[in-house]
Amino acid sequence: MDLLLGNHILTAVVFLPTAGAVLLLLFPKSRPKAAAGFALAVSVAEFLLSLPLWARFDANASGFQFLERADWIPALGISYTLGIDGISLLLLLLTTLLTPVSLLYSITHVTKSVRAFSIAFLVLETGMIGSLVALDLALFYVFWEVMLVPMYFIIGIWGGARRIYAAMKFFLFTMAGSLLMFIAILYVAARHRAITGEWSFLLTDLYGLSLDAPTQTLLFAAFALAFAIKVPVFPLHTWLPDAHTEAPTAGSIILAGVLLKLGVYGYLRFAIPLFPDAALAAAPWLGLLGIIGVIYGAFVAYAQKDMKRLVAYSSVSHLGLVVVGVGAFTTTALSGAVLQMVNHGLSTGALFLLVGVLYERRHSREIAAFGGIAAVVPVTTALFVIATLSSIGLPGLNGFVGEFLILLGTWTSPHRWWAVVAATGVVLSAVYMLSLVQRVFWNPLDQEENRQLPDIRKSELLAAAALVAAMVWIGVRPNDVLDKLRPSIEAVRGSLVERAAPAQAENRP
Amino acid sequence: MTESFLLFTPADLAAIAPELVLAGAGSLIVLLEAFAPRARGWFATLSVAAVAGSLYFLLRAPEGAFFGGRLETSALTTIVGLLLGASAVVAILVAKPYLVKTGEEKGEFYALLIWGHLGVSLMTRGTDLLVVFIGLETLSLAFYVLAAIFRTIPASSEAGLKYFLTGAFGSAFTIYGIVFLFGKSGSVRIDGLTLPGLAEDPLVMFALLLLLVGFGFKMSLAPFHAWAPDVYQGMPTPAVAYLSVAPKAASVLVLFRVFAAAFESGLPDRLRTGVAALAILSMTLGNVVALAQRDIKRLLAYSGIAHMGYVTIALAVFGREALAAVVVYFFAYLFSNAGAFAAVAALYRDETKPHPVGLLAGEGRRSPFAAGVLALCLFSLAGIPATAGFIGKFFVFKAAVDEGFYVLAIIGVVNSLISIGYYLKVVYILYMREPVEPEAPPSLAPGDRLALGLCAAGILLLGIFPSSLWNAARHAAEGLSFLSP
Repeated sequence: MDLLLGNHILTAVVFLPTAGAVLLLLFPKSRPKAAAGFALAVSVAEFLLSLPLWARFDANASGFQFLERADWIPALGISYTLGIDGISLLLLLLTTLLTPVSLLYSITHVTKSVRAFSIAFLVLETGMIGSLVALDLALFYVFWEVMLVPMYFIIGIWGGARRIYAAMKFFLFTMAGSLLMFIAILYVAARHRAITGEWSFLLTDLYGLSLDAPTQTLLFAAFALAFAIKVPVFPLHTWLPDAHTEAPTAGSIILAGVLLKLGVYGYLRFAIPLFPDAALAAAPWLGLLGIIGVIYGAFVAYAQKDMKRLVAYSSVSHLGLVVVGVGAFTTTALSGAVLQMVNHGLSTGALFLLVGVLYERRHSREIAAFGGIAAVVPVTTALFVIATLSSIGLPGLNGFVGEFLILLGTWTSPHRWWAVVAATGVVLSAVYMLSLVQRVFWNPLDQEENRQLPDIRKSELLAAAALVAAMVWIGVRPNDVLDKLRPSIEAVRGSLVERAAPAQAENRP
Repeated sequence: MTESFLLFTPADLAAIAPELVLAGAGSLIVLLEAFAPRARGWFATLSVAAVAGSLYFLLRAPEGAFFGGRLETSALTTIVGLLLGASAVVAILVAKPYLVKTGEEKGEFYALLIWGHLGVSLMTRGTDLLVVFIGLETLSLAFYVLAAIFRTIPASSEAGLKYFLTGAFGSAFTIYGIVFLFGKSGSVRIDGLTLPGLAEDPLVMFALLLLLVGFGFKMSLAPFHAWAPDVYQGMPTPAVAYLSVAPKAASVLVLFRVFAAAFESGLPDRLRTGVAALAILSMTLGNVVALAQRDIKRLLAYSGIAHMGYVTIALAVFGREALAAVVVYFFAYLFSNAGAFAAVAALYRDETKPHPVGLLAGEGRRSPFAAGVLALCLFSLAGIPATAGFIGKFFVFKAAVDEGFYVLAIIGVVNSLISIGYYLKVVYILYMREPVEPEAPPSLAPGDRLALGLCAAGILLLGIFPSSLWNAARHAAEGLSFLSP
C-alpha cells in the first residue's frame, strides 16, 4: 500500500468513489446491472482501502495522522489539508461500511436510472469522507455542501410519494444553517489575518486564535446552528422525518447512518475547539435541547403508524442522547457519544434496511398492515430483533456500551440530573421499539397477504449480516474501538479544559 | 490634451487593432450577406475567428495609454477582454443552430453581435468618458436591433422597443453625468477626476450618481432593472447569453474606474451607503421576484438582477481585493449564466412561443447533456461549492467580511438561500417530472455541444482550481492605478 500510495492514502480514500463515478459515465445506459455491480465493487474496494487506516492508526498518539498537505488557494492560505484522528477514523469506517451495504441492498431494489443512482451515491461518499478528513475550513465547507447535491437527487428521484417536498426541505434546511457558518468561517480567517498578518483557513492555526467572548458567542452560534440542523437538535429536526421517510432505503441508511453524525462531528471538530469559551457557556443549553430531543423523539416515535417514520423519529431520540453526551463533556460521556454515533449508524442502518425489505414485499410501511409474520419470514425477523436489541441497548450488543458510557459520563459531570432524565429515554426506546416488533412480527397473523411474504434475499441478507457482525463485535470488544478514541477525545476536551481553567480561576474571588 | 482625435501614431493603431478586427469582420459579414448569401454557412466560423483574432491582438498589444490617454491596454483590460471574448464565443456558437432552428439564419445577427462586442470592448478600455460613452452607444444600438430581429414575433418587437426606450433613458443619465463632470473638471478624461478636492463638490457627486444610474441600467441593477425580464424574454436567446454578461461586466468596470479616480481613499460614507442599498435592493428584489417566475428566461433575468446585487456588494466594499473579486465573479457568472442561456437555446423547440419552465419537464433523461449542463449552471448560480459560482461568491463575501461589511455579507448569504428555492425548482422539473413535450428534443448541434461543454468545463475548473484566476485577477486589479490598495 505504501509503495502504491505513499502518503496519499487519505486522498485515495476521498476520491476513489468519484473516480468510480466518472468511470460509470462510460457505462452504457442499457446495462443497468453492470453499472450497479461496478458501483458496488468500487464501494467495496473503498472499504478495503480504508481498512489499513484502522490497522495503521496509532492509538497512542494524539493529534492528526496520515497528514497530507498541498496548496489550494495560497493567496488566502487555503490549503488542501487532510488528516484524521480517532473520531474521524471511526466515522470514516462507518461510512465506507454503510455505503457498500446500501449499494448491495439497492442492487435488487433500484431499477430506475441505475447508472445515475450509482453515480450520485459515489459522489455522496466522496462528500462525506471529505468532510471527515478535511482539516482546512474552506475545504471542509466545500465537501460539506457538496454532499447536499447527490442527496437531493437521491431523495428527489428515487424517493417515495412525497419525495419532492422532502428533498427540497432537506436541501433548504441544511443550506440555511451552512450559509451563516460560511460567513463565520470567513470571519475567523479574516481575524487570523488581522492578528498574525497571514491568511489561514487551517484548523490547527485557528484553534489557538484568541477571540473575545461576544464574538465567540456569535461565531459559535453560526457554527452550532449549521451542525444542529444536521444532527438534528430539537426543534430543528422537522426536516428529518420527511427526508428519512421519503428517501429510498439506501438514502435513509446513509442519512441516518452518516449524515446526522457529521453534525455531531462538526461540534467536536470545529464548533467546540474553535470557540471554547462560548461552547462552555452553551453546553447546558445543548444538553437541555438534547434531553428534550430524547424524550420528544421517543414519544413521537411511539405514536407513529408508519414503520419508517417510527425509525426516523427514533433517530431524533438517539441523537438527542448523543448530544447530551457532548453537552456533559466528560471523557467518558464524549467517548460514549462518539461510540454511540457508530452504534446508531449500524443499528438504524440495519433497521431502515429491514424496513425496506418488508416494504418491497408488502408494498406498505403501515405497521397495521403486518402482524404475526415471524413464522413467515423467520430470517428477517431474527435480524430485525437483533437490530432492535442493539438499538435499545441490550448488553452484549453495541448499543449498550455507548448508552452506558454516555449516562455514566453524564452522571459524573456537573449536570447529574441530565443522566436521570436521559435514562428514561433508554427505557422509552425499549417501549416503542419492542412494541413495533410486537405489532409487526408477533401478534396474530390476521391478513391473508402476509402469509405469502417471501423471506430475505441473499444480497439483502449479506448486507444486513455485515451490520450485525459489526454490532456484535463492538458489543463484545468495545475496547478495540474505545482505545482508538481515547487520545482524540482527550485532545478535544483539552482544548476546552485548558481554556476554561484560567477563565474560571479569574472568576473566583 | 488639446491634440485632435485625428492625430494618431502607428502605436495607437496597434492598440486599437482588436476593435478594428471586429469592425472589419462585422462589415465583411454584412457585405457577404448582401452579395454572397451562399457564404451564410460560414458566418459563425468567421465570427468566432474575428473574436479570436481580436483577442490575439489584445493579448499582443503593449500595455500603456494610447490616443493621448483615451484608451488603455493593461492587465485589467486584457483579463476583462478575455471574459468578454469568451461570452461572445459562447453566444456565436449557440447562435448558429438557434438561427437555423428559427429559420432566420442571416448575417445581420452575427454582424450586430460583433459590433455590440466591439462597443463593450471600447467601454472597458476607454479612459475617456466620451470613448466609454461611444462604446456604450455602439453596444446599445446593435442590441436594440438584435432584440427586435425576429420581425414576425410580437414579443421580439416588444423587446426591441422596450430596450430602446429604457436604454435611451439610461444613456441620457450617463451623458448628463458626463456633461457635469466636464463642466467641473474641464476634461472628459477619467483621470481628470483626480484633481484634489474635486470629489467634494456636490455637483460632481451628483454627476457620479447620474453615472451610477446610467450604468445601473446597463447592469440591470434594481431599481433600474425593469427592462431586463421583458427584453430577455423577447430577444433571441444567444444574444441574451451575451447581453446578460458582457455589458454588465463592462459597466461595473467603468464604475470602478470612475470611483477610483474620484476618491483616493475609498468611497465616501454616503455614497457607500447608497451603493450598499442598491446592492441589497437588487439582491432581494431579484431573488424574491424570481421565485414567482414561470418563464425560464424571465427567471434567469431576475436571477441576473440578484447577481448584480452581489457584484455591487464588491463595489460598495471597494479597493483592489474587491475589484479582483468582481473579475473572478464575472468569470463564474459568464460560465454559469451564459451556459444556462445556451442550454435554454438548445432545449426549447419553438421560439415563436414563450419559454415556460414546465416544458423542460423530464428533459434530464431525454437530453441528458444539455439538461445536465443546465443543472450544473443553476447549481453554480446558486453558489454550491465545487462550482465556479461558489468561488465568485466566496471572494466577494470574503472582501466584504475582511473590510467589516458583515451585514452586507449576511444579507448576501440569506439571499443565496432564497435563490436556491427557484434554481432547485428548475432542477426538479428537469429531473423529477414526467415529460410534457410529446417528442424528445432534437439532438444537439455541434455548436451547442461545444458551447455547453466549454461552460461546464469552466464551471468545474474554476470551482476546483480557482487559484490561478484569482492571482491573475489580483494582478489585473493593480492595473487600476488610482485605486488605493
